[in-house]
Amino acid sequence: MDKKPKNSLTKSSRKEGRQLSLMTVPVVVWYALFCYLPLFGIFFAFKDFTPVPGESLLKNLFVNSPWVGFRNFSYIFRNPQIRSIIFNTLLYNIIFLVAGIVIPVTLAILLSEIHQKMFKGFVQMTLVLPYFISWVIVGYCVYGFLSTDTGVYNSLLDHFGADKVQWYQSPQYWRVILIVLGIWKSCGYTMVIYMCSITAIDRTLYESASLDGASFWQRVRFITLPHLKTTISTLFILGIGSILTSDFGLFYQVPMDSNALQEVTQTLDVYVYKSLMQNANFSYSSAASFLQSIVGCILLIISNVIVSKMDKESALI
Amino acid sequence: MKSHYVKPQDSSFNRTTNIIMIIVFLIIIILAFMPVLLVIMASVSSEQSLIEYGYRFVPKEFSLDSFKYLFKSGSTLPRAVLNSVIITVSGTVLGLLFMCPCAYALSRKEFKHKKALMVYLLIPMLFSGGLVSTYMVNTQILHLKNTYLALILPSMCSTWYLMILRNYFRTSVPDSLIEAGKMEGVSPIQSLSFIVIPICKPVVMTVAVFQIFAYWNSWYPALIYIDSNHRELYPLQYVLVNIERTIKAMTRDAANLSGMNNVTLPSTAMRMALVVVTILPIMVLFPFFQRFLKTGMAIGAVKE
Repeated sequence: MDKKPKNSLTKSSRKEGRQLSLMTVPVVVWYALFCYLPLFGIFFAFKDFTPVPGESLLKNLFVNSPWVGFRNFSYIFRNPQIRSIIFNTLLYNIIFLVAGIVIPVTLAILLSEIHQKMFKGFVQMTLVLPYFISWVIVGYCVYGFLSTDTGVYNSLLDHFGADKVQWYQSPQYWRVILIVLGIWKSCGYTMVIYMCSITAIDRTLYESASLDGASFWQRVRFITLPHLKTTISTLFILGIGSILTSDFGLFYQVPMDSNALQEVTQTLDVYVYKSLMQNANFSYSSAASFLQSIVGCILLIISNVIVSKMDKESALI
Repeated sequence: MKSHYVKPQDSSFNRTTNIIMIIVFLIIIILAFMPVLLVIMASVSSEQSLIEYGYRFVPKEFSLDSFKYLFKSGSTLPRAVLNSVIITVSGTVLGLLFMCPCAYALSRKEFKHKKALMVYLLIPMLFSGGLVSTYMVNTQILHLKNTYLALILPSMCSTWYLMILRNYFRTSVPDSLIEAGKMEGVSPIQSLSFIVIPICKPVVMTVAVFQIFAYWNSWYPALIYIDSNHRELYPLQYVLVNIERTIKAMTRDAANLSGMNNVTLPSTAMRMALVVVTILPIMVLFPFFQRFLKTGMAIGAVKE
């Protein structure tokens, strides 16, 4: 045991272990400050936050604010708007979830069958670009189409002798507009992910299928889709996990925070933001975001269990 | 008719279907690009023609005045560009400096706390404190309000990137290479910087590119953490958000004062020029970066 070489070896490996641990310190500290410290804020949801100026946040939260149990939650559920807010969040997310699988998969399958390699690359590159444009910019692009006085659509309507539409005051159009934009922005990106999975499929499978006279649908049904199963379920589980989380930019910035559109554009994230920044209502806001977090977490775990029951390999965790 | 053309064996499209599908995809591309095209065209139109004819895909009257005016009108725009560059560069570089060593440790078999650290990193993916507590912690405990750090620090690291880096480090660096280095007395930090990083340049670039785009496009942190008394900290994207607010307020005031409903402010082309200035770097860099983006997306598609 006390042989010298072995001793020095363990010594050096202990030193190495220490160095490896040191290398993780920045990330560990970052996670402690920016992910774990805010977790204490869950208590906001169960407290009536009444800060005393000049005292520290933790003292204000834990000492100065009384426990109110689930009062904040019952309050937000009594809010007449909350029904439509939750309905909007769920509606848009379910549509995005379904369309976000069907459309990109279809596009990817069709694109992968095209003969010209260069063209495939070109399409992928151009369709993925919207993903890397911020919602602020998208908001302006949309404004170019919908502006009452200078927008393209109103010019067209004018041209054909129809009345102009006050787009930013007419909620009836915005469900469609928001859905189209949501799909437009993310569809190309997801398509590229599926394309990557499709190109990873062994091409000889398709060649032998062609030789055996398989039709297009048969090839999709028996070769492509089974190979995409894992990717589809991964993205599906992630989507379910964020079913109460919406893209703040799409629902707040693109409609330009127009009050007239609120009934169709307000989602939970917009509600959380507004009750925090505009109404300074810490307790209700955090109750709402606690709901988002906990429901998302539970749904993610449930859907993961279901998917892994159906097919072990497709599960996320 | 190209006589040398042979249909690839693995495609089920015949020549006609192939051509039809190419046309379909071209139409999709054009549709997808129309919004951006409209903005670009509007930015090079003269103010007068925009007011008269509205935004058009073919400008009635070509003019670069909007850009000239934009760069002449005080220090707002240059400062915003500078802010965006500072935030993007420092966020990306710091993020990599934080994440690469950690990913390296996670990729090594001999690192004992691997399991525990993984759990530590995965929990925030499942559960987060939410906007309110994040905001309160960042402003009242970390005192980030109205600083550059508020725009840089909160989005610097992500479990997703850490996993991408770790997987790549683990699979593409031969273990024997690192072991050999160790025999020579190379420390982990040295083997990361002189063996692993040079081999894994593509994946480091991938994370860098994703971060560059994310930081360049970010405006939400500015909305939350920078108040209107600190306009000098506004990044480009947030200047855009705010111009909209300002114009809205001005329009409302003007409408109230004059009793008119539609007041057109002489900024129609300028706004769009600002949009073009903001997306230009993305459009220019995109062709060079897309190789790395695709690597990232391909890795993202495959779970570990």
